[in-house]
Amino acid sequence: MTEQLESELRAALREHAAQVPAASIARLSHFDYHPRTRRLRQPLAIGALASAAGAAAIVISLSAGASNAFAGWTATPTAPLPGQLAGAQASCEASQSPIAGLPLTLTDTRGPFTFSVYANSNSSATCFKGPGLMSISANVASAALNVPAGQVLLSSSHRTDRGGHAFSLADGRTGPGVSGVTLSLDDGTNVRATVGGGWFVAWWPSGHEIKSAELTTPTGTVTQTFNLSPEIPCGTQRCASGTSESGSAGGSATSGLSR
Amino acid sequence: MDQRRADFDSFVAHSTEALLRTAYLIVGDLPDAEDLVQDTLLKVAGRWSRVRRMEHPVAYARRILVNLALGGAARRGRRRRELTGEVLPDHGHEPGESDAIDAQDELMRALAALPTRQRTVLVLRYFLDLPEAEVAAAMKCSLGTVKSTASRGLARLEQTLRTTNDTRSIPT
Repeated sequence: MTEQLESELRAALREHAAQVPAASIARLSHFDYHPRTRRLRQPLAIGALASAAGAAAIVISLSAGASNAFAGWTATPTAPLPGQLAGAQASCEASQSPIAGLPLTLTDTRGPFTFSVYANSNSSATCFKGPGLMSISANVASAALNVPAGQVLLSSSHRTDRGGHAFSLADGRTGPGVSGVTLSLDDGTNVRATVGGGWFVAWWPSGHEIKSAELTTPTGTVTQTFNLSPEIPCGTQRCASGTSESGSAGGSATSGLSR
Repeated sequence: MDQRRADFDSFVAHSTEALLRTAYLIVGDLPDAEDLVQDTLLKVAGRWSRVRRMEHPVAYARRILVNLALGGAARRGRRRRELTGEVLPDHGHEPGESDAIDAQDELMRALAALPTRQRTVLVLRYFLDLPEAEVAAAMKCSLGTVKSTASRGLARLEQTLRTTNDTRSIPT
């Protein structure tokens, strides 16, 4: 009986393993797993961090050095590989999360990472998915938000993966006429956001804060500056924000909205 | 491109398929398996200077994958229990029910119900056809532990299948 069982088990395992799609194998084979070599600038001065309030403690502990946890990240969005979007969407939507009921609005891909926004007129949720990492958060406004033409409304947060590596997420609504958004961080890094459907999304593998954004508008490039703090009015409305973590994502720092 | 990087890219090209299929059999879920393989390859990339000089880099990667799989089993187990009700509802089988259940599906269902360590040993032994000594190396345990874990796993599979068959053969 044991020999027969062993033989049947071999056949069943082969059969079951064959269900792995070739596209998944191809996708995993094409990711860039090499450690990033980008050097982080010196840690920010404590005085500068004070303005980041709740984010400060985590930023200090996370800026210690570059890691390969986010290998494949690029400052400019990349085209998704076959199956990448569907895989991320399935993982995000399978989670018990605030995503339920919200339509997928925009997805940013950078290497093996996807960052998606699900939104309706006054609620939104984001899902960040990378290798061994998933982070979901939600923002709810008491009424629909109106963003002035040529401006953006920003929500940003700092998080850590289970290895303690920092990453930051930024998303927000774009006002009429905004067709491009490039975020300038306080370490001089420029991160080009993905823009569409009245939203923009971007992320970067550090705890550095956003200083300003260059917005592409019909009349030219406009610079919008930000002064992030933990409790900032959300346009003319007060915003409530909530965060939930799943998968292997670690703690989060702060989430604020600023104009 | 330097030789070191080229070697790693070649390693990824040649090892990803086996790693992903193995991970899929161990964790039973494609997104989890993909995460596992990516985590594994990231770790291998970080240690590639050392790993590339090894006689069997694939065996080293397999050890990392198994270690990550066993470490993450509890978390995935919790999630799977939450999802099982939706994804794989157990409707049971009425006595005399005429629908034929595929024998391989039964076997895979029984395998999925095993503790992760037993399932991992059986996958390494009967999917990859690894000798017991290599299974022991991959799982960082003794040869004796591999033998006893495989034996218990097979016995449990046999028992589960026998119980299922007995239930289905009850006359109406």
